[in-house]
Amino acid sequence: MAEAATAKRERKEKLEDILVVDCDVHVHESPEALIPYCEMPWRKALETIKDVKEFYLDIPGFSPGTTVYEAKFPSGQEATRMVHSASQMREELDEIHVDIGVLFPDHFLKIPVISQVDYASALARAYNAWLLAEWCSPENGLLGCILACPQDPVGAAHEIEKYSDEKGMVGVFLPCAGLERLWGHRQYDPIYEAAQEADLPVLMHSVTVIHPVFPFNTQGFETEFGRHICSHTFSMMANIVHMMTTGVPVRYPDLRVAVTEAGISWVPFLMHKMDKEYIERRREVPFLEDKPSTYLKKMYFATQPVEEPENLSDLVTMMELYDGEDNTIFASDWPHHDFDHPSKVHQIPFTSEVRRKVFGENALRLFNIDAGGNRLRVR
Amino acid sequence: MSREHVIGDLSDFPPGAHRVVKVGRREIGVFNIGGKLYGLPNVCPHQTGPLCEGKPPLGTLVARSENDWKFEWVDEGEVVVCPWHGLEYHVPTGRCLAYPNITLRSYEVFVEDGEVKVRL
Repeated sequence: MAEAATAKRERKEKLEDILVVDCDVHVHESPEALIPYCEMPWRKALETIKDVKEFYLDIPGFSPGTTVYEAKFPSGQEATRMVHSASQMREELDEIHVDIGVLFPDHFLKIPVISQVDYASALARAYNAWLLAEWCSPENGLLGCILACPQDPVGAAHEIEKYSDEKGMVGVFLPCAGLERLWGHRQYDPIYEAAQEADLPVLMHSVTVIHPVFPFNTQGFETEFGRHICSHTFSMMANIVHMMTTGVPVRYPDLRVAVTEAGISWVPFLMHKMDKEYIERRREVPFLEDKPSTYLKKMYFATQPVEEPENLSDLVTMMELYDGEDNTIFASDWPHHDFDHPSKVHQIPFTSEVRRKVFGENALRLFNIDAGGNRLRVR
Repeated sequence: MSREHVIGDLSDFPPGAHRVVKVGRREIGVFNIGGKLYGLPNVCPHQTGPLCEGKPPLGTLVARSENDWKFEWVDEGEVVVCPWHGLEYHVPTGRCLAYPNITLRSYEVFVEDGEVKVRL
C-alpha cells in the first residue's frame, strides 16, 4: 500500500465491480415488532409502550436518548432515516453498491443503559430471535450479529451458543454506549469463550448517550457536536485499553475483534500510547507476551465515519501507521445520519489490491465467510 | 446546441417553489425565492448527495461578534440543506456555510415570454 502513487496509473476498478461487504448497517427494531418474540412478563412492558411516540432512536422504557436536552430547529437533513424490513434494506444497499450488509440494531445500541437486568436480557433474546427470523439471509446478502447483553454475560453466552450454527449469524455485537463495566472486565469471559468456540468475531459499536460512566459523562458539552465525537471514538479506545489490560487477545487467541463507527485516525494514536505505557508497566498487564500494538494490529477497524482530510492520501498514510492493509474494513452505517457512501472510500488513492481488501476481502476473513455470505466453518 | 433550455412555465415555479429539473445529463435545482429564480447543481460536492431534492430552503443559525455572539436565526427561506449529511448552502450565492472556500456554480434562470429558461 506504500505505492499509492502507482494507483493512479492502474485502471481504477469501478465500485460496482468490487465486492463490497458493509460491516455496519442498521435495522429498526420497534417495541411492536419485538412483541411476538418477547417472553412474559416483559412482553407486557413492550405492549405498554408500543404506541408511544418515537423520537429518533429515543423511546422511554426502551432506548432512553438525548432528545430532551437541546433546542430543536428545522433542518433539511434527513437525519431520521430508518430501515423497517429486509426487502427495504436489500433495495437500499443495492443503490449504494453494497453486496453484503452486516446488521446492527438501532435502539439497542443503547441497551447497556437499561437498568433492569432481566428486562435487558429479555430484550436481547427477543431481538436476536426477531433478527434471525425476519432479516438474516446469506442468499439476500444480509447477515446478523448476535446481540450480547452486557448486563447478563452468562445469558449472552447462551445466546451465542444457541445461534452458533445459524448460517444467518456471522458475529457477536458488543454494545458500548453507557456500558457500566468496560468490555475487558473478566465478567465477560463467558461471552469471549462462547464467541471463540463458535468461530464468531465480536464487534464493538457505540452511540451517544449521557450516562455517568466514561466516556459518556458528556453533560458538560452543550451539543451533540461534542458528545458525538467522544461517545464513539473514546468509547472504542477505552474498551480496547481495558481488553488489553485483562489480556483478552492473549487469553482468547482465536477470537477476532472488530471496532465499528469510530473512524480510523485514532488507531495509530492509541497504538503508540499503549506501547509507551507498556514499557514502564508491563507487570500490570502480565498477560501480554508482546507490546500492545502487536495485538491491536490483529483487530479490525471499520472505516465509517471515514475521516475526510483535504488530501485523501493522508488516509493511506494513516492506515500504513497501523499496518491497516489487512485489517481495515468498509462500513457505511446505512441508514444513519452520518453514513458514508462507498464512493467516498472509493476515492481514497489505494492500490487496486488494497481497495479490494478494504471493501470486501478483509471482512470475508473477519467473518470467515465466502463472497456469497456463507459461513465457512459452521460446526 | 443552444445554451438556453426551457424548463417550464413561470406557473411551474411559484414563489417558495423548489424543483429539480433535468437538462441533458445535468440535474439542476431551481428555486423561486421571493420572486427571484436561482439554479444550483443537484450534487453535493461532499459525498455526491442529491443536494436539491430535500426539503425547501429554510433559515439557519449564525453567531456574530456584532451581536455579542448570540445565536441568530437568519436567511429564512434561503438555505438549502443536503438531505444526506446536512451541509448547508446559501441558495442566492451558492456559498457553502461550512467551508468558506466552497461556492457552488450558479446557473442563470430567467423568464422569457412566460417560459422559464436555464442558461448553461
